[in-house]
Amino acid sequence: MKLQVYTLRYLLIALLGVIALWASLFYMVILEEVYDNIDDGLKNSKLLIIRKAKESPELLTNHESEINQFTIKPVPMGRYIARNSKDDDDDDDHQNVIYNDHKYMEYDDDYEPVRVLKTVFMASDGNPYELTITASMVEEDELMEDLMTALIALYIMLVVSIVIINYFILKKVWRSFYSLLDKLRHFKLGTGTAFTAPASPIDEFKVLGKELEALLKRNEATYASQKQFIENASHELQTPLAISINRLELFAENNTLTEEQMDAVGKITDTLSRLVKLNKSLLMLSKIENKQFPDETTVDFNELTTQVLSDFEDFASFKSVSLQIIQNEPLLFTMNKGLAVTLLSNLIKNAILHNRPDGTVSISLSEKQLTIRNSGSDKPLDPDFVFNRFARHSTNENSTGLGLAIVKSIITNYNLYIGYSFDEEHVFNITFP
Amino acid sequence: MKILIIEDEKGLREVIQQSLEKEKFIVETAASFNDGLDKLGCYEYDCVVVDIMLPDGNGLDLVSEIKALHKKEAIIIISAKDSVDDKVKGLDIGADDYLSKPFHLAELHARIKSAIRRKSHNGDNLIHWNNITLSPEQRTVSVDNTELTLNRKEFDLLYYFITNPNRLINKTALAEYVWGDYIDQADNLDFVYSQIKNLRKKLKDAAAEIDIQAVYGIGYRMS
Repeated sequence: MKLQVYTLRYLLIALLGVIALWASLFYMVILEEVYDNIDDGLKNSKLLIIRKAKESPELLTNHESEINQFTIKPVPMGRYIARNSKDDDDDDDHQNVIYNDHKYMEYDDDYEPVRVLKTVFMASDGNPYELTITASMVEEDELMEDLMTALIALYIMLVVSIVIINYFILKKVWRSFYSLLDKLRHFKLGTGTAFTAPASPIDEFKVLGKELEALLKRNEATYASQKQFIENASHELQTPLAISINRLELFAENNTLTEEQMDAVGKITDTLSRLVKLNKSLLMLSKIENKQFPDETTVDFNELTTQVLSDFEDFASFKSVSLQIIQNEPLLFTMNKGLAVTLLSNLIKNAILHNRPDGTVSISLSEKQLTIRNSGSDKPLDPDFVFNRFARHSTNENSTGLGLAIVKSIITNYNLYIGYSFDEEHVFNITFP
Repeated sequence: MKILIIEDEKGLREVIQQSLEKEKFIVETAASFNDGLDKLGCYEYDCVVVDIMLPDGNGLDLVSEIKALHKKEAIIIISAKDSVDDKVKGLDIGADDYLSKPFHLAELHARIKSAIRRKSHNGDNLIHWNNITLSPEQRTVSVDNTELTLNRKEFDLLYYFITNPNRLINKTALAEYVWGDYIDQADNLDFVYSQIKNLRKKLKDAAAEIDIQAVYGIGYRMS
């Protein structure tokens, strides 16, 4: 999940909770305020009605006044006294009973919410009367509804604007981070180019960039010194190896040795030769990785394959393996000729070497593909390891275990692609760009 | 035939000297750039074998010096570097051949002999061995003046044997010379044997006075 989406997701969830809580609190406060307002109005009406009733007693008989939204009913004496022991006329809030109710409205043909105030007062004739005042809450109700709508709208607007602002701000803030990531993704050790972090206005990213630069510089140095070591070691080994082999050759020549002694000398020479091969392969690998094959020409792979195959003819016929070349299209590619020969030789040699008697090697060339198929063991090789250094699949003591590693190294050097697959036969397929 | 070896590595200097002396060459050695330059200034040689990496100078500069002195020595560069650049550069400034370490002594002999032969302008570029005559330029072989038809590999094999008479030849050296560097990792080199069998048969049919013997475990010897 992208950083932006991740941040926004949590922001939205948090915002939903906060806004909902805030909205409900706000709603309750406003509701309280509205009721308070209506109640104040009702209480005021009560005072006015009671004063009016004292001035003009006919109001008491005309005890129902729909227009004025109030009713006056006589109350039995006992009940009133029981309910009201103290007799203070004014400011008798505790005698008031206020509640919500619904009342039928002819105009709307429906029940509308009303706020009702019920109280009892002593009229001038000395009798208690019950006064009921109602106030319509239709408008207040609508107010509440409006308020709710406004809150929802506010939430949506807030969310949308936060998402948009966040999108642009995050994009801007993380831009240098993403460009750093991009550079890092395309960075390869051992290419000789130093890693430079892109400039950033943000301190943290500056530090990150600097640390990465330093880390990769150290890695590059380690990598280079390791490579250097392999190369130097291989170089230094050449001369002692040469002396050992040549001394043995002279020794075998200068002395009359028995057959057994000869055989022993021969075996030592063979082992030394193996060491020479290994050493040469290691040197070859470092040279390819150091790009020490700069001369490039257009290589005609059709011609080159035919040539390399003819070099291996004797070897193949000795192993009774038949070689076949299928030239569908001309395959031309610009690369170092020596490396092209190494590439083909290593692959073809492997195909012959790891074959069975009366087996086949078939090479097909098309415009962008070179495929080498060979019969051999029934077991497929592990495609993940086959190109690794010293990944030997046979116990053949003449194999250095570096042949396919060299192939892979050449392939990588020229941005080609090589794949291994198995369908009855072992298939190596090179794709040219 | 006089040969100068300029090589700082004592062991290698010794084996090359011993091996070449067996070929009846007169061998002198130099262990450094200046030593080599001194000897080149005082004496005439038929061939100079020079190492590129010397403690007090570059072997390539020595090649330039030889050329500047207008000397006629055949020059063979030996190097542990096996670098294409050095090889191209060395041949450009006038070296006759380039051999990368480690090499087989038989290979060095073959190179030295062919370099000297190419240098000598006496017109007789033919190699004789008993009743066999071999022309490296024409790539032809005749036995008792009758031409013998050999394929490329058979010719290369015979040429290698004749330039290394009475010497023990390692089968790896032989395979590398005839089949190229890439064959060296191929299995056990037994396929070399069948080629030599063919060559022996052809030579025998032509009544050539040559004996190629197998030396158990190592390779071959021609006598």
